Amino acid sequence: MNGYHSPDEGDTETGKEETAGGKQQRPSKESASRTKAADGAENAVAAAAGGGTPRDRLASNSRTRQRIDSLKKNRPPFPWFGMDIGGTLVKLVYFEPKDITAEEEQEEVENLKSIRKYLTSNVAYGSTGIRDVHLELKDLTLCGRKGNLHFIRFPTQDMPAFIQMGRDKHFSSLHTTLCATGGGAYKFEPDFREMADLQLLKLDELDCLIKGVLYIDSVKFNGHSECYYFENPTDPVQCQKKPYNLENPYPLLLVNIGSGVSILAVYSKDNYKRVTGTSLGGGTFLGLCCLLTGCSTFEEALEMATRGESTTVDKLVRDIYGGDYERFGLPGWAVASSFGNMMCKEKRESICKEDLARATLVTITNNIGSITRMCALNENIDRVVFVGNFLRINTLSVKLLAYAMDYWSKGQLKALFLEHEGYFGSVGALLELLNPT
Amino acid sequence: MAACSRIGGGGHSMDKSITLPPDEIFRNLENAKRFAIDIGGSLTKLAYYSTVQHKVAKVRSFDHTGKETEDEPLYEISVQEEITARLHFIKFENAYIETCLDFVKDHLVNTETKVIKATGGGAHKFKDLLEKKLKLKVDKEDEMSCLIKGCNFVLKNIPHEAFVYVKHAEPEFRFQTTHPDIFPYLLINIGSGVSIVKVESEDKFERIGGSSIGGGTFWGLGALLTKTKRFDELLQLASRGQHTSVDMLVKDIYGGAYGSLGLTGDLIASSFGKSATADKEFSKEDMAKSLLHMISNDIGQLACLYAKLHNLSRVYFGGFFIRGHPVTMHTITYSINFFTKGEVQALFLRHEGYLGAIGAFLKGAEEDNPNQYSWGENYAGSSGLMSVSPDMFPMQRTRSGTFDMLEMDRLERQLVNLPLLLDSSSYIPDTMDLTEDAMAREYWLSCFEEALDGVVKRAVASQPDLQDARERAEKFRLKYRHKLQTLRHQPCAYGSLTVRSLLDTREHCLNEFNFPDPYSQIKQRENDLALRYFQKVVRSVEMLNWEDRQFALVKGLLAGNMFDWGAKAVSDVLETDPAFGFDEAKRQLQERPWLVDSYSKWIERLKIIVE
Repeated sequence: MNGYHSPDEGDTETGKEETAGGKQQRPSKESASRTKAADGAENAVAAAAGGGTPRDRLASNSRTRQRIDSLKKNRPPFPWFGMDIGGTLVKLVYFEPKDITAEEEQEEVENLKSIRKYLTSNVAYGSTGIRDVHLELKDLTLCGRKGNLHFIRFPTQDMPAFIQMGRDKHFSSLHTTLCATGGGAYKFEPDFREMADLQLLKLDELDCLIKGVLYIDSVKFNGHSECYYFENPTDPVQCQKKPYNLENPYPLLLVNIGSGVSILAVYSKDNYKRVTGTSLGGGTFLGLCCLLTGCSTFEEALEMATRGESTTVDKLVRDIYGGDYERFGLPGWAVASSFGNMMCKEKRESICKEDLARATLVTITNNIGSITRMCALNENIDRVVFVGNFLRINTLSVKLLAYAMDYWSKGQLKALFLEHEGYFGSVGALLELLNPT
Repeated sequence: MAACSRIGGGGHSMDKSITLPPDEIFRNLENAKRFAIDIGGSLTKLAYYSTVQHKVAKVRSFDHTGKETEDEPLYEISVQEEITARLHFIKFENAYIETCLDFVKDHLVNTETKVIKATGGGAHKFKDLLEKKLKLKVDKEDEMSCLIKGCNFVLKNIPHEAFVYVKHAEPEFRFQTTHPDIFPYLLINIGSGVSIVKVESEDKFERIGGSSIGGGTFWGLGALLTKTKRFDELLQLASRGQHTSVDMLVKDIYGGAYGSLGLTGDLIASSFGKSATADKEFSKEDMAKSLLHMISNDIGQLACLYAKLHNLSRVYFGGFFIRGHPVTMHTITYSINFFTKGEVQALFLRHEGYLGAIGAFLKGAEEDNPNQYSWGENYAGSSGLMSVSPDMFPMQRTRSGTFDMLEMDRLERQLVNLPLLLDSSSYIPDTMDLTEDAMAREYWLSCFEEALDGVVKRAVASQPDLQDARERAEKFRLKYRHKLQTLRHQPCAYGSLTVRSLLDTREHCLNEFNFPDPYSQIKQRENDLALRYFQKVVRSVEMLNWEDRQFALVKGLLAGNMFDWGAKAVSDVLETDPAFGFDEAKRQLQERPWLVDSYSKWIERLKIIVE
């Protein structure tokens, strides 16, 4: 990987000089295209050489060498970030060291200090960045350092602004490795390099996801259990959130609901496979809600869904059969056709936005539940962990999934959830920085 | 063409008034015995059983032992009236239901029937109308069991019922040869929701799952998103759209492919993922396309998961979402291929729309037990695949074009596979599939077209005593020519197109107009001659040594077949040289190797058997 992505040494030097010299203008069009052309040639070489020998890789990666040189006690230099750039959201975890000695503080370069102060003293960044304060992990020991782990997110569409900020704050002068996962690690890599002179260490998102899940569960959520389930999921009155001990988790079905959905069967910490996925995920919920109701944010869509009623939109079994379809064991309340009532013009005209939002949520959630259940049967796994940002502040879906798993499997399947929903990929990326595999 | 009768009174709205050509749509109503109806969300399927009286040629041979009569014929052909059973299925839009019921009532003469079996979601809604109009008691039957019964029936009785759909291929339909053992299979019925049914035998089936994301979701959600009311219009929008502007693709997230997982950049990562914004407009076409992909992929994925769990490889798709629409067949096929990596094929059914009606009918016909017989599709009375498909024939969707028909004739005996076949499931009786070979198709269609004049002439000549023979023969000409034209545009209309099916179609059309066999007199004359010649041929063949004898037999078979198929070249020869005989035909045979020549292999095998 390193060999493939390392820039030509000469080019890097020039680039560094430019930034170090404080010339803050963007690279000229000419130089950008020159870099691109060079990249193209490089890629061709890398592909032909099959990625290059390990020795080549070491020799050609000056930045890695610098980082290794500056290592103290086998630790990477601060700042410690893990980033997961998804289709809709960027998830960033930042480790804030709390055990900084006076000596260290003196040595700490201004850039680094300002980043630390900026991130920890704010809960919102720009107009769209948000720190999920309630998820912060306190007094965590990572690589021998004590500190707090912060969880930050912002929309992927603001990536250009983020990269620009990295450039403006001379992030590249910190000689840190930016570990990134998710599709955006690939998509935005050239931008990071060309705009901010930053080299990404790209990591596989599913590797990171599993790493992150196992790690966060092991350190616990500030003394509480990270994992939970619902007792009596089919009884609205008795239904209760309970901690779950995920100590011996294998085999496990891991369902990651982001913009789309990936379903993994995990057999041990490094043995897993992606069973399948579906394109009907969080992005579909939000996309359809925006089209149907004119809303523009996930929060808005969820808020409407909470107030809405899906049974006006969906055609239920009882709408067709007058009650249960006993012959096939289908209860009257089950949805026979999602949006089925909307085939009728009169009903379309009298429907409210809240009901449409609710029906969209229920449709997407039930479908994920149904595909998950089939995968669990095919893989012969009876525990399912649901993660991903679709479940953020989305109690409706969480409970619906718990219900659906339990009801349709007649109690055979257990739905489990994790408090840090969508952040596991970025945690995995951070762990890769600290303990490279 | 018979005069059309205009029905439907002035009180009806325009939509409900329709011109029904009675000779062509509800045929044989005067002999209708039993009714069944399947009323779906938009289409009604009426089924009835009738008896058809038609002429048949009967052969009676004379005892000639010991006599050497040169002039007397060896056998006699007489035309007799025979009554056979026929199943009629007619499909039309629900808007015409009242008009059609009135028409049926008006033309119903002497039925003893008291009940009508009804199924489908609309059976309840139209119950009163049915009882009022037809004066028949509505007896409701479970939808799913009707569907399965109908599915089993068509799979068993109609060759080339199931097909694989391959977009842009030539032909787009790949028909499956009928397998004698149809069970077990998975039926995915995509109505407003989706039902997934595992069928293990004639009587044993189980709904193993389903999904609420189905045709109703496409329709309902599609109508909300595009403000387009009709299902067919939504599909048309979808077929013009580009989903990539609405869906978030893998490459939108990764910038390219997700190589390590083998996910290509064009795969949809998140359906409607790009529409999560308030400040962009999306075209109706693009949204409809994205929706179609979303639903088709989802159904395909679930179907695959169920097929895998139950270890089933035959998966049939039906329901109003499919209804012969190329665009939905394509997206479902694509999805199945993607999720099973080609291990499972999506199969569609030519008569998918009739399954419920057929099943409901069969339930009410237990005393006649149609399952005891074999039934054959009557090509003369059936509309053929996609005759009213808006995708194929947008122009044809006029009022009278909304009727689609299927007729099945009861065969005298139950058909079984020839027990001598090594493997009946892989045996294909026809050497050529004309749907695959455009040149051969054109050759044979022209051949049959050019022969039409001669057939009409023979037909008239075969019934010299009947005054209306000429008029009927002209009707036959029109009908058969129309069939040939249909087949030229849609070679797949009746399954695989073969010389045999062209001949069958001609025979069905001739029967339709009461010409059991226009060639009977010629055949009689030729058979007479042949039988007299027979002894001599046998003797001359017997005189040859073993190897020469086999070769002589094969040459005889080939020469004889030239006459039998009535190929154009032969008929030309016969027209110009009446003396052209068997020996001449043998002399005309080409030297070996023949076009298809497995003679040597055959001889080798035969030698082993002889030894």
